[in-house]
Amino acid sequence: MRASLVLALKDLRLLSRDRAAAFFTFVFPLAIALFFGYVFSGTTAEPMRVAAFVESASPAADTLVRALSEDGAFVLNRVESREDGERLVRSGTAAALVVVPASYAEGVDGMLTGAGPHLGLVVDPSRRAEGSMLVGKVHEVGFRTVFSSMADPAQFGRALDRMEASLKASDMSASDQFAIRAALGRARSMAAQSSKDAGAARASGASGASGMSGWKPVSVDVTELAMRPGIPANSFAISFTQGVAWALFGAVLAFGSGIAEERQRGTLVRLRVSPMSPNDILMGKALACFLTCMATEWLLVFFGIAFFHVAVSSWVAMAVVVAVTAFGFSGLMMLLAAGFRTEGGTQGAGRAVLLVLAMVGGGTVPLVFMPPFLRAASNVSPFKWAVMAAEGATWRNWGPDELWMPLVVLAAIGAVGLTAGTALVRRSI
Amino acid sequence: MIRVTELRKSFGSVRALDGVGFHAERGEVLGLLGPNGAGKSTALAICTGLIVPDSGSVQLGDAGAPRDPAARRLIGLAPQQIALYEDLTARENLVFLAKIHGVHDPVRRADELLDMVGLLPRARDRVRTYSGGMQRRLNLAAAIVHDPPVIMLDEPTAGVDPQSRSGILELVQRLAAEGRAVIYTTHYMEEAQRLCSRVAIVDHGRVLATGSVPELIAAHGGESVVTVDTPSGARITRTREPLREIERALAEGGATAVRIDQPDLETVFLALTGRRLRD
Repeated sequence: MRASLVLALKDLRLLSRDRAAAFFTFVFPLAIALFFGYVFSGTTAEPMRVAAFVESASPAADTLVRALSEDGAFVLNRVESREDGERLVRSGTAAALVVVPASYAEGVDGMLTGAGPHLGLVVDPSRRAEGSMLVGKVHEVGFRTVFSSMADPAQFGRALDRMEASLKASDMSASDQFAIRAALGRARSMAAQSSKDAGAARASGASGASGMSGWKPVSVDVTELAMRPGIPANSFAISFTQGVAWALFGAVLAFGSGIAEERQRGTLVRLRVSPMSPNDILMGKALACFLTCMATEWLLVFFGIAFFHVAVSSWVAMAVVVAVTAFGFSGLMMLLAAGFRTEGGTQGAGRAVLLVLAMVGGGTVPLVFMPPFLRAASNVSPFKWAVMAAEGATWRNWGPDELWMPLVVLAAIGAVGLTAGTALVRRSI
Repeated sequence: MIRVTELRKSFGSVRALDGVGFHAERGEVLGLLGPNGAGKSTALAICTGLIVPDSGSVQLGDAGAPRDPAARRLIGLAPQQIALYEDLTARENLVFLAKIHGVHDPVRRADELLDMVGLLPRARDRVRTYSGGMQRRLNLAAAIVHDPPVIMLDEPTAGVDPQSRSGILELVQRLAAEGRAVIYTTHYMEEAQRLCSRVAIVDHGRVLATGSVPELIAAHGGESVVTVDTPSGARITRTREPLREIERALAEGGATAVRIDQPDLETVFLALTGRRLRD
């Protein structure tokens, strides 16, 4: 073990002297994180994935949900419970959760009495830009649906009935009540006429202004899904975990060719003539990669915390994530090392394969912004699980029940890679 | 100290070693002399445990075979290819190797060796800045960082200038004088003649003959050629006793010049293989 550590330290020293390798391992991931952090400070042109939990079984609620579904700005996913919706938001599958409460229909009916319909919106705090856009869109869709409800004579009639009932219950003077009832009677006539006119206009294809711009008939309560402390609220939270993919890419590439380099340089002969066993040599190589993966991940985390308000939800979780990720990618490095005998072959194939995997795994397009097909395809990329685990330990605030999946995948990659890679490399050294 | 018996090794259809055997004791330099491709490096690779032979054995004193890590501690190898980390300094290279061999005070040992090979003033320079000769010397120092009793040097002077070559040969003599067994492969006849207590002539994976240089010449070199120039012309005589022939020519009188062409290892090799060493 001591010899393996000496070998690993020698490899780290060599890495520090290879400016290009050190750049791609330590500096490039930071540059990527900063670049995408600034790029994603804006919003995305992709339709926003939104979860909807509809407690209200009413035509008004159905109208609202249908309108949201048909709006090109959203991809709506109805869920069975608020918890399901929050889980989708926390996992990044949905940008926000729209909650249509049971009282929604009552609110629409009581709009003229001052109560008005009410919607809940649960947003991911790290995606505030999308959240703000969603609030605007919900107001817009709410306005349209409520206003169209009012254009329905029956719906409007019910609203007037509720208003008259509340008038009766009030202690208003008889003369005032009479005046208001007269006004409500005229309103009923106008609504009926308006309905006829609207029908005729629809038939002729004409459109007209509502004359009610600026009115917000729907109140939206926005809740940030900040149930645990330490959630960052900017795009760097995403881009720094994205940078993890490139940090790991650099580390695996730097050490994947290590054995081929030793072979070509002739130093592998020296190591093999030494009392070190082949396992000691391979362990030293894996250890160097492991330590580098850890170092570069922590560098990203600390840099993000120090300068870009990136927050770690749990230091224990982060430590576990970093260690397991480093283990997984040490295994991946060993597989790469096993595949090729020459430095050129390892570097070339490594770049070709790892680059694609890193890109698909969230290195370029963050997982949260990926279209569904790409997100599904990204499951084959070890980088996806590393990024997901890093997100889980930072802005996603995942607990053990959510972190276990990426951690198990990474640990499996590490175990398989180290076992198979070591067996294959042993045969060639 | 090291005894090699009947080594056989094939790579596919190519038979690299075909029953090679030799031994080397403490304080002696055994030369493996043969052309490129004769099987010298393969023999060394087996002796150091890098390759497993198809048959035959290597015994390192009482420690066993070189596949055993404990036995490998007894061996120092300077490979033919310069096997150093170019981006480390000379001292860092030696300290690293000393550490993986478990040397007690690696820095002190590194400096001792750097001093021995004349590189101490450049100890902090990266190896990539060294000349070929300096790298060769460091390559040799790296082989003995753990002070092994058996040293295997695979063409350690390949591609170096005469001055560095001379320095390396002196160092090898010193190592043997200090009681180490040195196995030295080369295809330079002059080096073998200068350095080696005994020489094994290797060709096509076989040891054709083993012995001291005089023994080999006596056994396989044939007769010396004595040329005596006289006013009436040159007289050429082939003899195993050239001095006696010269004495006789001088006694007869009239000799204006005498030249002796003695057989050497090249002649031995030619006699044993039918071709020259560097063909």
